[in-house]
Amino acid sequence: MISSINPSMKMVAVLLPGILLGLTYDVFTPLMYFIFILIVTFSMTHISILRWLKLFSPFLMLAVSFAWMTMLYANQTFSGGQEMFRFWLFEVTSGSFQTGVSVGLRSLCFGALSLLFILTTDSTKLMLSFMQQFKLPPKITYGILAGYRFLPVFQHELQTLRQAHRIRGVSRARGIKGSVNQFRRYAIPLLASGIRKAERVSIAMESKGFTDDADRTHYHNMTVKKRDWLFLVLMIGVLIAVFVLSYYFGYLQIFGRQF
Amino acid sequence: MQVHKGWEQPIIEIENFSFSYEEIDKQPLLDGLDVTLNPNEVTLLMGASGSGKSSLALCLNGLYPEAVEGISSGDIFFLGKHIQDCERGELTQKIGIVFQDPESQFCMITVEDELAFTLENRKIPASEIFGKIESVLKAVGMQRFIHHKIHELSGGQKQKIALASVLLLEPELLILDEPTANLDPVSSLEFIELVEAIQEERQMSCLIIEHQAEDWLRLIERVLVIGMDGKLLADDAPDRLFSEQQRLLEQEGIFLPEEYSGGFEGRKRYNQTVPAEKTVLSVRDLSFSCKNQNVLNNINIDVLAGELIAVAGENGAGKSTLLQLMAGLLEPDAGDIFLFDRPLKKWRENKLRKHMGFVFQNPEHQFITDTVYEELTFGMKCNGYTEAEMENAADLWMGQFGLREHRDNNPFALSGGQKRRLSVATVLDVSPDILLFDEPTYGQDAATTTELMDYVMELKAMGTAIIFVTHDMNIVDAADRAIILKQGGVAFSGVPDTLWKKTKMLYEARLRKPARLRQNRRESHVYDIIH
Repeated sequence: MISSINPSMKMVAVLLPGILLGLTYDVFTPLMYFIFILIVTFSMTHISILRWLKLFSPFLMLAVSFAWMTMLYANQTFSGGQEMFRFWLFEVTSGSFQTGVSVGLRSLCFGALSLLFILTTDSTKLMLSFMQQFKLPPKITYGILAGYRFLPVFQHELQTLRQAHRIRGVSRARGIKGSVNQFRRYAIPLLASGIRKAERVSIAMESKGFTDDADRTHYHNMTVKKRDWLFLVLMIGVLIAVFVLSYYFGYLQIFGRQF
Repeated sequence: MQVHKGWEQPIIEIENFSFSYEEIDKQPLLDGLDVTLNPNEVTLLMGASGSGKSSLALCLNGLYPEAVEGISSGDIFFLGKHIQDCERGELTQKIGIVFQDPESQFCMITVEDELAFTLENRKIPASEIFGKIESVLKAVGMQRFIHHKIHELSGGQKQKIALASVLLLEPELLILDEPTANLDPVSSLEFIELVEAIQEERQMSCLIIEHQAEDWLRLIERVLVIGMDGKLLADDAPDRLFSEQQRLLEQEGIFLPEEYSGGFEGRKRYNQTVPAEKTVLSVRDLSFSCKNQNVLNNINIDVLAGELIAVAGENGAGKSTLLQLMAGLLEPDAGDIFLFDRPLKKWRENKLRKHMGFVFQNPEHQFITDTVYEELTFGMKCNGYTEAEMENAADLWMGQFGLREHRDNNPFALSGGQKRRLSVATVLDVSPDILLFDEPTYGQDAATTTELMDYVMELKAMGTAIIFVTHDMNIVDAADRAIILKQGGVAFSGVPDTLWKKTKMLYEARLRKPARLRQNRRESHVYDIIH
């Protein structure tokens, strides 16, 4: 199961294909890899298809609009080939059509990879793994972890401030100048209480014996096991296989150069 | 009782210790302290708000003065060793502190991870950590919560977790910095009882910082008092101090425990004025839910002119929500609220605010300008008063609330008590008909509390309706009517005297009787019913 893969390794396994796919300009390569990501997502995690579709729909919209824009405004290098159809002033050639679809598919790959990572990774374990695998200093690790707790607090605080200002008869802001002023009025007390809270938390942490000493024991020992390497090899290996296959069929294009 | 226990080496020796935040301070916050804390002794540290009690605690475990770039002089010894010779992190593991604010002393999401954090700091091998977590959770009675998220716990539960994580340090000295200030009365008693049991079992020294000595009396063997001038004013056994030095304590704005003060003044102090037969605000069949959770159900309340109503109930019973609904800050799901027989919805916003004032729990939330003067005149300015009128009115308020010398100071730079006074003064500028207070006495010392109650009672005598949300049963006792909320409904509404007779209901709502009705300090019946 992917949720038990070491978060740092998972991040590498997801980031690398993401970057490498960004270099391909053909349709076949990202399409194949996208299918592979879908297979991984639904066979190796517990994410329900419905929930995934709900979360994925914004990525889909984004991908379609990227594809459409690229088709219309394709760079000359890519816009060769025959005219396929016309849309108002724009003409879409087979070359630009192909580039557009490729951009769309790559965006889909990014989206699916991100979801695969986000939905299977515990934020606390991610930071702990960064500390243990990538040697992130404890000061930063626990600082960020403490920061997670602040988000709901800030939300509540902002709501209270709004109420307090209404009580004082500060009318709702009108126009740009009004909202700038309002932002200023909210920002100062929010920051002031944020700083005070952060200071309290840091003092509480230090009072529990926390120092920036990297030599500490780890209750959640984040290890890199064989299966983590296997996952990395799977993700990268399939990518290479897809590249090879695509080269073999003569589809592979990197930076617009046909191989 | 013998204060100094002879041959044993003191845990802490403080010699001629002074501390201040900035060099420009003419008067140091702590000035020339000479104190020793003995092993296995429970000491209470008292003093007015802002007298430097919390700062002293942090000086003891070595975090101050570095953490705040303050300056200190004099010496502190921990078990005979100068604290400046201790390594970083060494002292903090020997001296554990539980802080006042349950919201800002954790850094992890779950109870388990938070407790593990302490043990990891101590470099305890991972294999032993789980066992230690389990046993400390058992000690504080929170075994069931090991996998819970901290932010979903109640205030009392959070403080128990904070205590547990500090106990994991296996400290020689446990410092509790107003640990029960945010808790409802029964949670607070439970916490004190827990500390007592643990102290007895582990035989460690405790330093307790607290405004209200009352509930701690049976634990403490010694009381230290720090004055507003930062000097040590008293160091004595509680019995002697509270009976012989009452004048000194009153001057310093320190609450006397009930059995020494001979009755809370709340009742005697104020002339009971009878409310007029005129309804200011009425709540009809009010229901409210938030995130599919019923917060309030079918509430009916009438508020008369010149009436003081105290709303009490356990944490999360919906008290603050009710207040916000009454102020029109939230929209009810069902039911209506009328101000002078006119639904709140039909009031124009600025008209409504003239008739109604609201004082928030945290005074800072209400400040919107840069100086005290502007803060006081903000409402008048909006309503088009002339400069001279504003000047007059502001001068009057500043005089009455003791803020004259801070006229041009930033409201955020005031002391806790001053902020509280200013936040009250700002809602009085248009002489409202009804005032709503959300736990205004929380975390305040005796002087500030009495002062606030004096203003409130004056306003009440002039015919202003007042609604207080509070955990302080002594304030409930001084009210014309008490309303007890329980699980989103009104469990009781009537005069406090009737309420105090309903023992069972009080405990179910996690409340207790006011100080004047608590005969003995043991209060065994409370524990009988809790446990």
